[in-house]
Amino acid sequence: MSEAEPTIAVVDDDLSIRRSLERLLRSAGYRVTTFASAREFLERVASDRPDCAVLDVRMPGQSGLDLHGKLAAAGRDIPAIFITGDADFFTADRAMKAGATDFLSKPFDVYVLLSAIERAVAQGRQRRPPGK
Amino acid sequence: MSYYVGANIGFILRIPPATPSVLWPPNSVLTATLLLAPRRRWWIYLLAAFPAHLAAELPAGWPTSLVLALFATNCSEALVAAVCVRHFSDAPTRLDTLRRVVVFIAGAVLAAPFVSSFADAAAVAWLAGEHYWSVWRTRFFSNVLTALTLVPAILTVASDRGWMRGASIRRRAEASLLAASLVAVAIMAFGARSVGPAALFGSPGSPLAFLLPFLLWAAVRFGPRAANLALLTTSLVAIWAGTHGRGPFTSLPAATSVVALQIFLFVVAIPLLCLAALIEERRRAEEALEERLRFEAFLARLSGAFVHLPSHDIEKAVEAWLQRLAEFLQLDRVVLVRLPAAGPGPAVPCPGAASSSMAVPLVASDRVVGWLVFHSAPAERVWPEELIQKLRMIAQVFANALARKDAEDALRASELMKSAILASLSSAVAVLDRDGRVIAVNESWTRFGAEPEATAYAGFPVGAHYLAICRQAVREGVPQSSKVLSGIEEVLHGSRRGFAFEYSCGSPGSERWFALSVVPLNRPAGGAVVSHTEVTERKRAEVQAERSRQELAHFTRVSTMGELAASLAHELRQPLTAIMTNAQAARRFLDATPPDLQELGHILGDIIADDTRAADVIQRLREMLSKGELRRAVLDLNDLIRDVIRLLGSDVVIRNVKVGLELDPGPLVVNGDRVQLEQVILNLFVNAMDAMAEVADGERTIVVRSEVDGAEAVHVAVRDAGTGMRDGAHEEIFKPFYTTKPEGMGMGLSIAKSIIEAHGGTIWATNNPERGATFHFSLPAPGGTPG
Repeated sequence: MSEAEPTIAVVDDDLSIRRSLERLLRSAGYRVTTFASAREFLERVASDRPDCAVLDVRMPGQSGLDLHGKLAAAGRDIPAIFITGDADFFTADRAMKAGATDFLSKPFDVYVLLSAIERAVAQGRQRRPPGK
Repeated sequence: MSYYVGANIGFILRIPPATPSVLWPPNSVLTATLLLAPRRRWWIYLLAAFPAHLAAELPAGWPTSLVLALFATNCSEALVAAVCVRHFSDAPTRLDTLRRVVVFIAGAVLAAPFVSSFADAAAVAWLAGEHYWSVWRTRFFSNVLTALTLVPAILTVASDRGWMRGASIRRRAEASLLAASLVAVAIMAFGARSVGPAALFGSPGSPLAFLLPFLLWAAVRFGPRAANLALLTTSLVAIWAGTHGRGPFTSLPAATSVVALQIFLFVVAIPLLCLAALIEERRRAEEALEERLRFEAFLARLSGAFVHLPSHDIEKAVEAWLQRLAEFLQLDRVVLVRLPAAGPGPAVPCPGAASSSMAVPLVASDRVVGWLVFHSAPAERVWPEELIQKLRMIAQVFANALARKDAEDALRASELMKSAILASLSSAVAVLDRDGRVIAVNESWTRFGAEPEATAYAGFPVGAHYLAICRQAVREGVPQSSKVLSGIEEVLHGSRRGFAFEYSCGSPGSERWFALSVVPLNRPAGGAVVSHTEVTERKRAEVQAERSRQELAHFTRVSTMGELAASLAHELRQPLTAIMTNAQAARRFLDATPPDLQELGHILGDIIADDTRAADVIQRLREMLSKGELRRAVLDLNDLIRDVIRLLGSDVVIRNVKVGLELDPGPLVVNGDRVQLEQVILNLFVNAMDAMAEVADGERTIVVRSEVDGAEAVHVAVRDAGTGMRDGAHEEIFKPFYTTKPEGMGMGLSIAKSIIEAHGGTIWATNNPERGATFHFSLPAPGGTPG
């Protein structure tokens, strides 16, 4: 944690989930930005690059997987952790193959989530030369 | 041939030296022939007579011109006679009325010889040089005598050959005796040696006087025919005697004796012919009268036979009387052919006047109801107009009898039908008069009264005051009896066109249900028909149906729940996840120094909200799974739609369906069962999503539209962009177990239909013009028509 606190983006259409995750991650020392949909994320995050994205798989409009795919296609390689209400094997498999860092099923163990985020942030910083 | 023979007889009977004979048969033969033959064939007979004339007269040594002239005068005489008689007589060949006899005597006996004798005498005088008036006189008298005696005899023999055939033996014997006596007396009268002119008339004991009784005998007992023959016989004998110099006239000079003989015969013949005709006429008139009386007596008996006959006996009586009728009319058979009541009947031969049968129509109220066919054994017979007239009168009697039978049968059938209908009704029916008194009941009504658990409203006998009974029920506090009373009163007063009501009676558990219906009697005297129909079975079936419908609804709910299990789990996971995350965050905030109490407060608030949210989901689940009765409440359909969409939220997301809402801005108020109506909306949603399973991701849209449909109903439409329904499936899709999905039960829409119909609404489906289908339902608004 040599630099500024890592920024975590939370994309979930459920307000309760967004608010609880924001609190949890804030208490863990992250900066948190929340988005109600994939579109909102794409519109607002252009300038501010998060260190990790926590994406809900099922959302109205574009799903978390769609968003991740779009970011990858645009060369914006943000480490992503998917959270989903129903963990089915095929969706998880698709997410992992598309380069997801982790895939968690709701309700998840907060420590598993936090360690996944930690891993993702480290992974992201490793991949990206500092200062760039 | 006869002409030839006649001419020769004429020669034989001639009293020389005069040319004309005492009797000159050829002309009479010709006259009789022309009277008997049709007019158009006269020329044949005249031509045929010509060779006979030549053959008879040429040998006499007369000049040919005279023979030819005599033929012409003979023919002219026959022609004049025939034309006259045919013109004036109604039956030229018969001499059985005075008129006919007078015409015959005037035309054939007097006029024809009178006229033709001028020409004849002229011819003879000129060609044979005889004295004109002598010839004229001789010819005239001889022809008159011949015409008077021979023509009637020929006519009798030719036209009535069989007149004695049917006579009894006694009559034949009498006729034979008469003939023998006549010939004997005639021979005695004329054949006796001359006794002088004093013997002619008035001389007592003269045999001539004895001739008259025999001639009268013939005329009186055997009619004109016998009189004719008797006259001929008398004349022949007299002439034969005269020509042989015998008889009463021989004392006179030859010509004078001939004339005397002739005058004698005229004097006897003319009155005798008239007398015979008169007697015959009289006899016929008596016969006709007797016949008429007999017929009228028969007709009276026939009409009388049917007057008081019960209609079921008429057919048998008709058969019997047809037989009697045949006997009476001396016909072989009389048949009655009935025509069917409507449409053309069998073709009945309508024979002409000469035939073996005659058909007379049976006419009743200007309609031909049948035919009376009279058969006669001879192949052809004449049906005189008089007889046909009688047959028509008889036919009228039969027609009237049959018409009465038909009318009574129809009336009885109609009464039987009415009583059969009333008796066959399982409903108890009573007819009330204007005052509410029972005036007629059917069997079921009476049976009702005899049952131990009778209803309070049926079973009272005729004469009972129904309204008073209803009033009594009101006083006794029978449930809903005031409603029944006022309903019946309103129908009786004409202020209501009908009244229907369902009520139950009997002990709980073994309740019986009845449908009461009151309709006005459409008659000037007023009144009403009250019917009670037991509908217990129907009621039970309805309860049963309602129960099975609810069970089915429960079953579908459960199965729908199965389909939605994943999304419902998701629905619970969301708040649970949030609660867990919040709780963990709270612990971290507690660990901090100083703890952020404000943040902790927010967290606890969120946890409580999420917990409530989870509890709501569970509550809704329980409501959906519970097998509730119909619990009606005033609801806003828009709320229900939103609730269902929230419930479906994650499922919609999973299936990547876009949901559009076009809800009525105001509340869409209905009176119904919340859970059941949610079930309907849910089923329509699930159906719409299933319909779009094969549709590309971006195109899956459902649009829900709700609107107030007039003042009386609300309307909800769920539009999908799926594959739509195949043609003709609009009705079938609402039937149970109709499905196009491999894993579907085919229950969703049928349940929706039964729920909507239980709410008094309707549900239907249409294909959209562009793609997919729209499912609609409409429910009555609480202010509108009650469901």
